[in-house]
Amino acid sequence: MTELLKANFWADVTFYRRSKLLLAFMLVFLLLTALQSLPPLFMNSGVQSFNSLQEIISDLNFFLLLLAGGMGLLIVSSHLRNRSLKMVFTKPCPPELWLLSAYLSAAATSLFLNLVVLGSEVLLSLLWHLPVRIGLVFVSAETFAVSLGLIAYLVVLATVMHPALAAIVAIVFNADLFYQFDVWTKAAIRSGNSSLALRFVERLFHGLYILLPMVYPFDKQTQNIHTSLRVMRGEWKYLLFSLGYTLALSAFCYCVSLFALKRKNHI
Amino acid sequence: MIVAEDVHVHFRRGFLRHKLRALNGLTLEVKDGDFFALVGQNGAGKSTAMYCFLGLLKPTSGKVEIMGQVPELGSSLYKDIAYLPEEPHYHLYLTVEEATRYYSSLSGKRVSNKAINDSLERLGLAQFKTLPLAKCSKGMKQKVGIAQCLIHEPKVLFLDEPTRGLDPLIVREFRETLREIHKRGATIVMNSHVLSEIEMLANRVAIIDRGKVVVQDELSNLLTLNQELYRIVFEGNGTVPEYLTAVERTGNLVRGLLPKARLSDFMEVVRTSGLLLLECSLKKTSLEESFFNLIGKETTTTEANRSNREVGVS
Repeated sequence: MTELLKANFWADVTFYRRSKLLLAFMLVFLLLTALQSLPPLFMNSGVQSFNSLQEIISDLNFFLLLLAGGMGLLIVSSHLRNRSLKMVFTKPCPPELWLLSAYLSAAATSLFLNLVVLGSEVLLSLLWHLPVRIGLVFVSAETFAVSLGLIAYLVVLATVMHPALAAIVAIVFNADLFYQFDVWTKAAIRSGNSSLALRFVERLFHGLYILLPMVYPFDKQTQNIHTSLRVMRGEWKYLLFSLGYTLALSAFCYCVSLFALKRKNHI
Repeated sequence: MIVAEDVHVHFRRGFLRHKLRALNGLTLEVKDGDFFALVGQNGAGKSTAMYCFLGLLKPTSGKVEIMGQVPELGSSLYKDIAYLPEEPHYHLYLTVEEATRYYSSLSGKRVSNKAINDSLERLGLAQFKTLPLAKCSKGMKQKVGIAQCLIHEPKVLFLDEPTRGLDPLIVREFRETLREIHKRGATIVMNSHVLSEIEMLANRVAIIDRGKVVVQDELSNLLTLNQELYRIVFEGNGTVPEYLTAVERTGNLVRGLLPKARLSDFMEVVRTSGLLLLECSLKKTSLEESFFNLIGKETTTTEANRSNREVGVS
C-alpha cells in the first residue's frame, strides 16, 4: 500500500511540476510580487516598509490559496478528462488510494510553497530592516490550513462537474457570498419576519457558509495577527482550531469525492 | 476464468437522454488458457464488453466475473491482470521511462531498473526514455502500453486493438511475445479488426454484433474446409470452362472456384490445352468470410424481422 501511495504521490508531484498552467500562474504572481517589492527599496520609513510587507504577505497568501485550489482542481479534472485513470484502476490501486495520494501531493506541494513564501517574507523583513515577527509563521500556517480545505473542496467540484464550471462555482458560490446571504436573512428575522421558510433559508445559508472552505474560520479572532504580525499567548489555539476545521472538512470532501469517483465510468 | 451472463449496458446520450444499448444480452465464457478474440464491426460492443470485464463499466444488468470474482476498480484481482487500452489514455506529463516505471509500480510488485530498461530496449524505446508521452507518436505510446503490460508476466491480458499504430517489425515481435506468454499459460482476451492477426493468434473467437454474441466457437471450427469446392489458379489466355465460378483475371493469371464433381473434366482441359496449373486446393473458409457470412445473415434476418414487423407480419 505504501508503495502504491508513493508511486501515485510522485506522479502527482510531477504533474504539478510540469503543469504549464500552474507554472504560468505562478510566474505572473511572482512578477507582480517582485514589482510590488520594488518601492520599499527606495523608502526610508520603517512604517511604510512594514505596510508594504503586510501587503505582500496578504497577496502572496491569497496567491497560495488560489494555487492550492488550482492544484485540487487540475489534479482530478486533468486525469478524468484524459481518461488516464483507467490505467490506474485496472491495477491493484483502488480509487481510495489514488484520491488520497492526489490530496496528499497537493497538500505537500502547498506546504512546500508556503514554506518558500514564509522564507521570502523573512528575507524581505531582514532586507528592509524590519523585526522578523512570529506572526509570519502564524499567518503561513493558517494559510496552509485553509489551503487544505480548499484543495479538498476543489477536488470534490472537479470530480462532479466540468473544471470550468467547478472554478466558477468555487469563485462565485464561496463562503463570502453565503455569509452575506446569512447576514441579510438574519437581519430580516431580527426585523420581525420570522416565518419558517426564512428561518430555514437562514440555517441553510449559515450551513453553507460554514461548510464551504474559502474562509478563515476564525478570522475575527485572528484579525489582529494579520495586521500586527504579533501573536499573543492565547491566540495559537486558533491555529489548531483552523487545522481541525479544515481536516474535518477535508475528510467530508474526501468521502464525497470518492463516492462520485466510484460512480463514474472510467472508459 | 471469465464469464459474462446476459450482460446489458445502456447509456443515456444527448439532451433528451436517449437510451443507447451498447450491450444487449452478451453472454460468453473465456476458459483458462484461452487466446480469445472478440470480433465485430465498429460499435458492435467489443470495447464495452472489455470495459465490463475490467470493472471500468458497471453493467446495467447481468453478471460479469473474472476468476470467480466480480471486478471492482483497483481490487487485488488486478495483480495478475494487464490491460492495454485501445486509445493511448496515459499520463501524458510523464516521460516514457517514468510512465513505464509508474504503471509497473502500481501492480504492487517490485520492478528492477534492469527490467524496465530491458523492456524499453526490447521495444525500441531506449533512446526516447526522457521524452514526455505528450510528445510521443501514437505508436510509441502504444509501445509504452505494451511495456507496462508485459513487464509482470500477467496471468490474464486484455488487449484492445493492440497492434494499432505499430510498425510491422514491432507487430511481428509483439505477436511472438503474445504467443510465448500464451504458451506459458496466460489467458488472453483481444479485440481486433485485423482478422488475419486473429487467425494467426487466437484459438477461440466470439463474433459480436449489436451488443450480443452471434457465435462463439473454436477458431478451427470457424475456419472449416469446404469439401465441395476447389480453389484453382492457372495461367492461360484462352476461354475459361463454364463450370468455373468466381473467376478473376489478372493478366494471364486466372483464379476461380471449381466444383468437386468437375475436377476430372478440368484436369482433362489442363492436359489437352497445356494450361499451367499453379494451385488446386480445397477451398478454406477464412475468418473474414465466416465473419461476413455470420454478420451478413444476422443483418439480413434483423432487417427481415424489422420489415415483417413494419408490415404487421409476426
